[in-house]
Amino acid sequence: MPDLNSSPQDLSTLLRALPADAAAPYGYQEFERRAQQRDRRARGLAGGERLATACVVAVGLLAVLVRLGAMGGVGHPPAPGVPVVRSAPGPEDETLPPHAGVAERWLASLPEEPAIVHVGTRAAVLGLEDRIAQIDDLLSTARDSGDAPARLATLRQERARLVGTLVQVRYAEVLAEGSL
Amino acid sequence: MNRTRLMSAAGACTLAALLLRTACAAAPPEPPAPSVPAVPAMQVPSQAEIDAQLRMAQKQLEEAAHEVARLSTQFSGSVMQEFMPLLAAHVVMGVELEPAPGNVGARVREVSPGGPAAEAGMRAGDVVLALNGTELKGAAPARQVSSLLRDVKPDTAVTLRVQRDGKPLAVTVTVRGAPDLLARLPRVRELGVEPPEPFSRRPLRDMELASLTPGLGSYFGTDKGVLVLRAPADGALKLEDGDVILAIDGRAPESGSHAARILGSYVGGEKITLRVMRQHKTLELEMTMPDATRAHDVHRREVMMPRADAHVTQLRAPYLRAAA
Repeated sequence: MPDLNSSPQDLSTLLRALPADAAAPYGYQEFERRAQQRDRRARGLAGGERLATACVVAVGLLAVLVRLGAMGGVGHPPAPGVPVVRSAPGPEDETLPPHAGVAERWLASLPEEPAIVHVGTRAAVLGLEDRIAQIDDLLSTARDSGDAPARLATLRQERARLVGTLVQVRYAEVLAEGSL
Repeated sequence: MNRTRLMSAAGACTLAALLLRTACAAAPPEPPAPSVPAVPAMQVPSQAEIDAQLRMAQKQLEEAAHEVARLSTQFSGSVMQEFMPLLAAHVVMGVELEPAPGNVGARVREVSPGGPAAEAGMRAGDVVLALNGTELKGAAPARQVSSLLRDVKPDTAVTLRVQRDGKPLAVTVTVRGAPDLLARLPRVRELGVEPPEPFSRRPLRDMELASLTPGLGSYFGTDKGVLVLRAPADGALKLEDGDVILAIDGRAPESGSHAARILGSYVGGEKITLRVMRQHKTLELEMTMPDATRAHDVHRREVMMPRADAHVTQLRAPYLRAAA
């Protein structure tokens, strides 16, 4: 530690003896450049997580769409031993989305449950399956009761919507299992 | 005077220089100076960081799937309420029927994915000729089936005589309790109460189960039960990783799904007894089902239905227990 009460001569000697790296390392322009670089790094780290999530969700949705859109093509044969035989379409069938049968074939091709059951996702799947079963039972009774085709169509559309949701949830389940 | 000023100035310079030096020494290594063309710095995340981010993304995906299912089911509530008067039975079979040609039996038009009939192996195109020995006849076989199931309790096996491709077949279907049974009870509907959602508590939702294979069974010392791969994080249910659930209140779970279904039939505050195999020893674990902690559940419980909740729990429990 230098003695601050030294004579001016000593002080000037001390000042001359200071190392060169004690000089200001950079100017304001360089400071700004480095500050921007640090900001970019921080943003990059925080955005990484969001980007990873967005990628997984986007890939998931894309895969579901591809499966639904291109079902029947190579790589997605109907499940063996699970033929889907339907009656001639009734008036209530006209409002159904075209991929309704495809979705059910894909569901039928899956095992009953994944090897590792994640309770939260499985509970969601079971809830949807029970609701669809209830709608099917209702459709039977409604038809026998002579309900108007419009009412049957409402039920059938609801069924198709729930089957679509079931596809999404089961796909998430498959995706989670595949990544374990 | 001049000497004093000079000394002060020199002292200040020395102090400033020392401070600057100290600051420079403590600063992290700097990137190359601007005069040197520098390659833009890019921080590559480590494998551990990527793994952590991936796990978080998967958790969010599962959470989103759960929420999609919850909202979608909730969305169908109004449609279901409209048709509820048509339901005579408290159970579902998961099959859409229509009169068969010649009014003999009921033809299966659709089989619900994952429903009881699908589990039993029924297919679209099958013709159901009889249910529990009673033949189906006439132009309204579905209503006849509904009537026959009126007094059947959930989880009961019903026997169907089926014709498939012209050949006779016997199929046993284990019927399930109809969802939202509670909403059909007039008193409860008057209260405007929404049935509590199973697994609204996070740690229970995070639980992971696996059905026992023969190999796993011999390792864990039992040939029955469901293996707990990941127990609830906060010690809920008193389970530990590696436990094998042998029974839940006397009911033996046959698969991970079955165990989830049984556990999902309990609401917060109910007593539950699990029989588990832990390190080759059988234990009885008695506990109270944990309460929901999600914000909107708490809101619903404490704000929207201050005193009705306990009443609902009492009403709902036996129905759902049987339905599981």
